[in-house]
Amino acid sequence: MKKLLILGTTAILAFTLSSCGSTNSLYSWYDYEDIAYQYNKRTTEELQLKVLEQYKKITDKQKGVRGVVPPGMYAEYGFLLCKTGKNEEGLNFMKKEIELYPESEVYISRIIKQLEK
Amino acid sequence: MKKTIITALAAITLVSCGTTKTMGEQYAAMYEEKPLSIAIMPPINQTTHAEAKDFFYTTLYLPLCEKGYYVYSPYLTMEMFQQESAYDAELFLENDLSMFKTVLGADAAMFTIIKDWRRNNVGGRVKVDIEYILRSTKTGQTLYKREGVISVNTSVGSGSGGTFGAIASLIATAINTATTDKVVAGRKCNAFVLSDLPAGKYSKMHEVDKTERAGEPLVKATVK
Repeated sequence: MKKLLILGTTAILAFTLSSCGSTNSLYSWYDYEDIAYQYNKRTTEELQLKVLEQYKKITDKQKGVRGVVPPGMYAEYGFLLCKTGKNEEGLNFMKKEIELYPESEVYISRIIKQLEK
Repeated sequence: MKKTIITALAAITLVSCGTTKTMGEQYAAMYEEKPLSIAIMPPINQTTHAEAKDFFYTTLYLPLCEKGYYVYSPYLTMEMFQQESAYDAELFLENDLSMFKTVLGADAAMFTIIKDWRRNNVGGRVKVDIEYILRSTKTGQTLYKREGVISVNTSVGSGSGGTFGAIASLIATAINTATTDKVVAGRKCNAFVLSDLPAGKYSKMHEVDKTERAGEPLVKATVK
Protein backbone atom coordinates (compact mmCIF):
# COMPACT_ATOMS: atom_id res chain seq x y z
CA MET A 1 0.00 0.00 0.00
CA LYS A 2 2.79 2.38 1.00
CA LYS A 3 4.69 1.51 -2.20
CA LEU A 4 1.56 2.17 -4.24
CA LEU A 5 1.14 5.59 -2.65
CA ILE A 6 4.80 6.51 -3.34
CA LEU A 7 4.44 5.37 -6.96
CA GLY A 8 1.22 7.36 -7.33
CA THR A 9 2.82 10.44 -5.77
CA THR A 10 5.81 10.22 -8.14
CA ALA A 11 3.56 9.79 -11.18
CA ILE A 12 1.34 12.75 -10.27
CA LEU A 13 4.35 14.98 -9.54
CA ALA A 14 5.96 13.96 -12.84
CA PHE A 15 2.71 14.78 -14.66
CA THR A 16 2.43 18.12 -12.83
CA LEU A 17 5.97 19.10 -13.80
CA SER A 18 5.65 17.93 -17.40
CA SER A 19 2.32 19.71 -17.87
CA CYS A 20 3.80 22.99 -16.69
CA GLY A 21 6.46 23.22 -19.39
CA SER A 22 9.23 21.52 -21.23
CA THR A 23 12.91 21.64 -20.34
CA ASN A 24 14.13 21.27 -23.93
CA SER A 25 15.86 24.47 -25.03
CA LEU A 26 15.27 25.72 -28.55
CA TYR A 27 18.83 27.06 -28.66
CA SER A 28 22.26 26.58 -27.04
CA TRP A 29 23.24 29.77 -25.23
CA TYR A 30 26.38 28.57 -23.40
CA ASP A 31 27.43 31.35 -20.92
CA TYR A 32 26.08 34.16 -23.07
CA GLU A 33 23.50 35.45 -20.59
CA ASP A 34 25.95 35.99 -17.73
CA ILE A 35 28.85 37.26 -19.81
CA ALA A 36 26.73 39.66 -21.89
CA TYR A 37 25.19 40.95 -18.65
CA GLN A 38 28.65 41.55 -17.13
CA TYR A 39 29.77 43.28 -20.35
CA ASN A 40 26.68 45.49 -20.23
CA LYS A 41 27.62 46.50 -16.67
CA ARG A 42 31.34 47.02 -17.36
CA THR A 43 32.55 47.53 -20.92
CA THR A 44 36.14 46.28 -20.66
CA GLU A 45 38.34 44.78 -23.37
CA GLU A 46 38.63 41.54 -21.41
CA LEU A 47 34.84 41.15 -21.25
CA GLN A 48 34.52 42.12 -24.90
CA LEU A 49 36.80 39.20 -25.82
CA LYS A 50 34.71 36.88 -23.67
CA VAL A 51 31.49 38.05 -25.35
CA LEU A 52 33.04 37.49 -28.79
CA GLU A 53 34.02 33.95 -27.70
CA GLN A 54 30.39 33.30 -26.73
CA TYR A 55 29.11 34.59 -30.08
CA LYS A 56 31.53 32.27 -31.88
CA LYS A 57 30.38 29.26 -29.86
CA ILE A 58 26.68 30.08 -30.35
CA THR A 59 27.01 30.62 -34.10
CA ASP A 60 29.32 27.59 -34.61
CA LYS A 61 27.73 24.93 -32.42
CA GLN A 62 23.99 24.73 -31.92
CA LYS A 63 22.68 21.73 -30.01
CA GLY A 64 19.22 23.14 -29.31
CA VAL A 65 15.94 21.66 -30.55
CA ARG A 66 15.83 23.96 -33.60
CA GLY A 67 19.48 23.42 -34.53
CA VAL A 68 19.84 27.00 -35.77
CA VAL A 69 21.39 30.19 -34.39
CA PRO A 70 19.01 32.07 -32.01
CA PRO A 71 17.27 35.28 -33.14
CA GLY A 72 19.49 38.35 -32.93
CA MET A 73 22.78 36.49 -32.43
CA TYR A 74 24.24 36.93 -35.93
CA ALA A 75 23.24 40.59 -35.71
CA GLU A 76 24.86 41.17 -32.30
CA TYR A 77 28.01 39.32 -33.35
CA GLY A 78 28.21 41.23 -36.62
CA PHE A 79 27.61 44.56 -34.92
CA LEU A 80 30.38 44.02 -32.38
CA LEU A 81 32.80 42.85 -35.10
CA CYS A 82 32.07 46.06 -37.04
CA LYS A 83 32.70 48.08 -33.88
CA THR A 84 36.10 46.40 -33.53
CA GLY A 85 37.08 47.25 -37.11
CA LYS A 86 36.19 43.94 -38.79
CA ASN A 87 33.59 45.52 -41.06
CA GLU A 88 33.43 42.98 -43.86
CA GLU A 89 33.10 39.99 -41.55
CA GLY A 90 30.64 41.88 -39.36
CA LEU A 91 28.38 42.92 -42.25
CA ASN A 92 28.33 39.33 -43.53
CA PHE A 93 26.99 38.17 -40.16
CA MET A 94 24.32 40.87 -40.21
CA LYS A 95 23.21 39.70 -43.64
CA LYS A 96 23.05 36.14 -42.32
CA GLU A 97 20.60 37.37 -39.68
CA ILE A 98 18.24 38.55 -42.42
CA GLU A 99 18.65 35.28 -44.36
CA LEU A 100 17.77 33.19 -41.34
CA TYR A 101 15.11 35.54 -39.97
CA PRO A 102 13.48 37.56 -42.79
CA GLU A 103 11.31 39.33 -40.19
CA SER A 104 14.47 41.14 -39.02
CA GLU A 105 15.04 42.80 -42.40
CA VAL A 106 13.47 46.21 -41.67
CA TYR A 107 15.67 46.81 -38.66
CA ILE A 108 18.89 45.05 -39.62
CA SER A 109 18.94 46.72 -43.07
CA ARG A 110 18.82 50.08 -41.32
CA ILE A 111 21.83 49.15 -39.18
CA ILE A 112 23.72 47.82 -42.23
CA LYS A 113 23.08 51.10 -44.08
CA GLN A 114 24.40 53.10 -41.11
CA LEU A 115 27.51 50.92 -40.85
CA GLU A 116 28.23 51.11 -44.57
CA LYS A 117 28.25 54.94 -44.55
CA MET B 1 -3.67 9.14 5.35
CA LYS B 2 -4.47 8.30 1.73
CA LYS B 3 -7.08 11.08 1.55
CA THR B 4 -4.63 13.62 2.98
CA ILE B 5 -1.97 12.78 0.39
CA ILE B 6 -4.44 12.96 -2.50
CA THR B 7 -5.80 16.33 -1.26
CA ALA B 8 -2.27 17.71 -0.88
CA LEU B 9 -1.28 16.57 -4.37
CA ALA B 10 -4.41 18.08 -5.86
CA ALA B 11 -3.54 21.38 -4.17
CA ILE B 12 0.02 21.27 -5.55
CA THR B 13 -1.29 20.58 -9.04
CA LEU B 14 -3.75 23.47 -8.92
CA VAL B 15 -1.27 25.95 -7.42
CA SER B 16 1.38 25.02 -9.98
CA CYS B 17 -0.81 25.18 -13.05
CA GLY B 18 -3.42 27.85 -12.34
CA THR B 19 -6.91 28.74 -13.46
CA THR B 20 -9.75 26.81 -15.08
CA LYS B 21 -9.46 28.88 -18.27
CA THR B 22 -7.55 27.56 -21.25
CA MET B 23 -4.67 29.52 -22.78
CA GLY B 24 -6.89 30.16 -25.81
CA GLU B 25 -9.57 31.72 -23.60
CA GLN B 26 -7.20 33.69 -21.36
CA TYR B 27 -5.08 35.09 -24.21
CA ALA B 28 -7.57 35.12 -27.12
CA ALA B 29 -6.04 38.23 -28.74
CA MET B 30 -2.63 36.57 -28.78
CA TYR B 31 -3.91 33.55 -30.73
CA GLU B 32 -5.87 35.81 -33.04
CA GLU B 33 -2.97 38.13 -33.96
CA LYS B 34 -0.15 35.54 -33.78
CA PRO B 35 2.73 37.99 -33.37
CA LEU B 36 6.02 36.68 -34.74
CA SER B 37 8.46 39.35 -33.62
CA ILE B 38 8.74 41.15 -30.29
CA ALA B 39 10.57 44.34 -29.34
CA ILE B 40 11.53 44.57 -25.68
CA MET B 41 10.79 48.05 -24.36
CA PRO B 42 13.08 49.56 -21.72
CA PRO B 43 11.50 48.71 -18.34
CA ILE B 44 9.35 51.29 -16.53
CA ASN B 45 10.97 51.61 -13.14
CA GLN B 46 8.62 52.60 -10.31
CA THR B 47 11.19 51.87 -7.60
CA THR B 48 13.91 54.08 -6.17
CA HIS B 49 16.58 51.64 -7.40
CA ALA B 50 17.79 53.41 -10.54
CA GLU B 51 19.98 50.48 -11.65
CA ALA B 52 16.97 48.14 -11.92
CA LYS B 53 15.95 49.52 -15.32
CA ASP B 54 19.27 48.90 -17.11
CA PHE B 55 20.01 45.59 -15.42
CA PHE B 56 16.58 44.05 -15.94
CA TYR B 57 16.19 45.26 -19.53
CA THR B 58 18.35 42.60 -21.17
CA THR B 59 17.09 39.64 -19.10
CA LEU B 60 13.89 39.27 -21.15
CA TYR B 61 15.68 38.52 -24.39
CA LEU B 62 16.63 34.89 -23.80
CA PRO B 63 13.33 33.61 -22.32
CA LEU B 64 11.30 35.26 -25.09
CA CYS B 65 13.52 33.65 -27.75
CA GLU B 66 13.06 30.32 -25.98
CA LYS B 67 9.29 30.83 -26.19
CA GLY B 68 9.61 30.73 -29.97
CA TYR B 69 9.56 34.42 -30.94
CA TYR B 70 11.88 36.53 -33.03
CA VAL B 71 13.20 38.99 -30.46
CA TYR B 72 15.12 42.13 -31.39
CA SER B 73 18.38 42.11 -29.47
CA PRO B 74 18.04 44.63 -26.62
CA TYR B 75 21.78 45.34 -26.88
CA LEU B 76 21.13 46.70 -30.38
CA THR B 77 17.76 48.37 -29.82
CA MET B 78 18.87 50.16 -26.63
CA GLU B 79 20.91 52.66 -28.66
CA MET B 80 18.04 53.21 -31.09
CA PHE B 81 15.55 53.79 -28.29
CA GLN B 82 17.87 56.39 -26.81
CA GLN B 83 18.26 58.15 -30.20
CA GLU B 84 14.51 58.09 -30.90
CA SER B 85 13.69 59.37 -27.38
CA ALA B 86 11.91 56.10 -26.68
CA TYR B 87 14.03 55.12 -23.68
CA ASP B 88 11.16 56.26 -21.41
CA ALA B 89 8.68 53.54 -22.25
CA GLU B 90 6.07 55.26 -20.03
CA LEU B 91 5.38 57.52 -23.02
CA PHE B 92 4.27 54.55 -25.12
CA LEU B 93 2.56 52.28 -22.62
CA GLU B 94 -0.91 53.53 -23.52
CA ASN B 95 -0.16 55.28 -26.80
CA ASP B 96 0.28 54.48 -30.47
CA LEU B 97 2.98 51.87 -31.13
CA SER B 98 2.99 51.96 -34.94
CA MET B 99 6.47 53.54 -35.04
CA PHE B 100 7.93 50.26 -33.73
CA LYS B 101 6.32 48.47 -36.68
CA THR B 102 7.80 51.04 -39.07
CA VAL B 103 11.29 51.33 -37.59
CA LEU B 104 11.86 47.75 -36.40
CA GLY B 105 9.22 45.68 -38.15
CA ALA B 106 8.06 44.41 -34.74
CA ASP B 107 4.59 42.86 -34.41
CA ALA B 108 4.39 43.44 -30.67
CA ALA B 109 6.14 45.38 -27.88
CA MET B 110 6.81 43.91 -24.45
CA PHE B 111 6.50 46.44 -21.63
CA THR B 112 7.58 45.69 -18.08
CA ILE B 113 6.81 47.72 -14.97
CA ILE B 114 9.20 47.16 -12.07
CA LYS B 115 7.13 47.75 -8.95
CA ASP B 116 9.54 46.33 -6.37
CA TRP B 117 13.25 45.46 -6.53
CA ARG B 118 14.84 45.03 -3.13
CA ARG B 119 17.19 43.07 -0.95
CA ASN B 120 16.72 42.21 2.73
CA ASN B 121 20.12 41.11 4.05
CA VAL B 122 18.96 40.16 7.56
CA GLY B 123 15.83 38.35 6.43
CA GLY B 124 17.73 36.61 3.62
CA ARG B 125 15.42 37.66 0.78
CA VAL B 126 15.81 39.26 -2.64
CA LYS B 127 12.37 40.32 -3.87
CA VAL B 128 11.00 41.64 -7.15
CA ASP B 129 7.50 42.58 -8.31
CA ILE B 130 7.21 43.01 -12.08
CA GLU B 131 4.23 43.42 -14.39
CA TYR B 132 4.49 42.26 -18.01
CA ILE B 133 2.31 43.76 -20.76
CA LEU B 134 2.58 42.72 -24.41
CA ARG B 135 0.86 45.09 -26.84
CA SER B 136 0.28 44.79 -30.57
CA THR B 137 2.02 47.40 -32.74
CA LYS B 138 -0.70 46.94 -35.37
CA THR B 139 -3.92 47.19 -33.39
CA GLY B 140 -2.59 48.55 -30.10
CA GLN B 141 -4.54 45.95 -28.14
CA THR B 142 -3.09 44.19 -25.11
CA LEU B 143 -2.20 40.64 -26.10
CA TYR B 144 -0.82 39.42 -22.78
CA LYS B 145 -0.71 40.76 -19.23
CA ARG B 146 0.65 39.07 -16.14
CA GLU B 147 2.43 40.01 -12.92
CA GLY B 148 5.01 38.19 -10.83
CA VAL B 149 5.97 38.72 -7.19
CA ILE B 150 9.02 36.55 -6.68
CA SER B 151 11.24 36.23 -3.59
CA VAL B 152 14.55 34.43 -3.72
CA ASN B 153 15.38 32.88 -0.37
CA THR B 154 19.09 33.49 0.23
CA SER B 155 19.20 32.27 3.83
CA VAL B 156 22.02 29.95 4.83
CA GLY B 157 21.97 27.40 7.67
CA SER B 158 25.22 27.07 9.64
CA GLY B 159 24.77 23.38 10.28
CA SER B 160 25.53 23.75 13.98
CA GLY B 161 23.08 24.49 16.77
CA GLY B 162 23.11 26.86 19.76
CA THR B 163 23.72 30.61 19.97
CA PHE B 164 26.96 30.42 17.97
CA GLY B 165 25.20 28.48 15.22
CA ALA B 166 22.38 31.04 15.06
CA ILE B 167 24.84 33.96 14.79
CA ALA B 168 26.88 32.12 12.15
CA SER B 169 23.69 31.52 10.15
CA LEU B 170 22.73 35.18 10.42
CA ILE B 171 26.14 36.33 9.16
CA ALA B 172 26.25 33.76 6.36
CA THR B 173 22.70 34.75 5.29
CA ALA B 174 23.59 38.47 5.28
CA ILE B 175 26.71 37.83 3.16
CA ASN B 176 24.92 35.49 0.76
CA THR B 177 22.03 37.96 0.34
CA ALA B 178 24.35 40.94 -0.16
CA THR B 179 26.34 39.10 -2.83
CA THR B 180 23.28 37.76 -4.66
CA ASP B 181 22.71 39.95 -7.68
CA LYS B 182 19.13 41.22 -7.69
CA VAL B 183 18.96 40.37 -11.38
CA VAL B 184 18.80 36.71 -10.30
CA ALA B 185 15.34 37.40 -8.86
CA GLY B 186 14.43 39.27 -12.05
CA ARG B 187 15.38 36.24 -14.17
CA LYS B 188 13.38 33.89 -11.94
CA CYS B 189 10.40 36.24 -12.23
CA ASN B 190 10.70 36.09 -16.05
CA ALA B 191 10.74 32.29 -15.91
CA PHE B 192 7.64 32.09 -13.69
CA VAL B 193 5.57 34.72 -15.49
CA LEU B 194 6.51 33.89 -19.08
CA SER B 195 5.92 30.17 -18.60
CA ASP B 196 2.32 31.08 -19.37
CA LEU B 197 3.02 33.11 -22.53
CA PRO B 198 1.54 31.36 -25.59
CA ALA B 199 4.38 29.89 -27.67
CA GLY B 200 5.60 31.65 -30.81
CA LYS B 201 6.11 30.36 -34.33
CA TYR B 202 9.53 28.80 -33.71
CA SER B 203 8.31 26.61 -30.86
CA LYS B 204 6.78 23.17 -31.31
CA MET B 205 4.10 24.30 -28.86
CA HIS B 206 2.89 27.05 -31.21
CA GLU B 207 -0.93 26.82 -31.38
CA VAL B 208 -0.73 23.43 -29.62
CA ASP B 209 -0.75 25.14 -26.20
CA LYS B 210 -4.11 26.78 -26.93
CA THR B 211 -6.03 24.09 -25.07
CA GLU B 212 -3.70 23.96 -22.08
CA ARG B 213 -4.80 25.40 -18.77
CA ALA B 214 -3.76 29.03 -18.25
CA GLY B 215 -2.01 30.30 -15.14
CA GLU B 216 -3.23 32.95 -12.71
CA PRO B 217 -2.76 36.61 -13.79
CA LEU B 218 -0.74 37.17 -10.59
CA VAL B 219 2.06 34.71 -9.73
CA LYS B 220 3.53 34.73 -6.22
CA ALA B 221 6.37 32.43 -5.29
CA THR B 222 9.39 32.04 -3.06
CA VAL B 223 12.27 30.12 -4.57
CA LYS B 224 15.66 29.04 -3.27
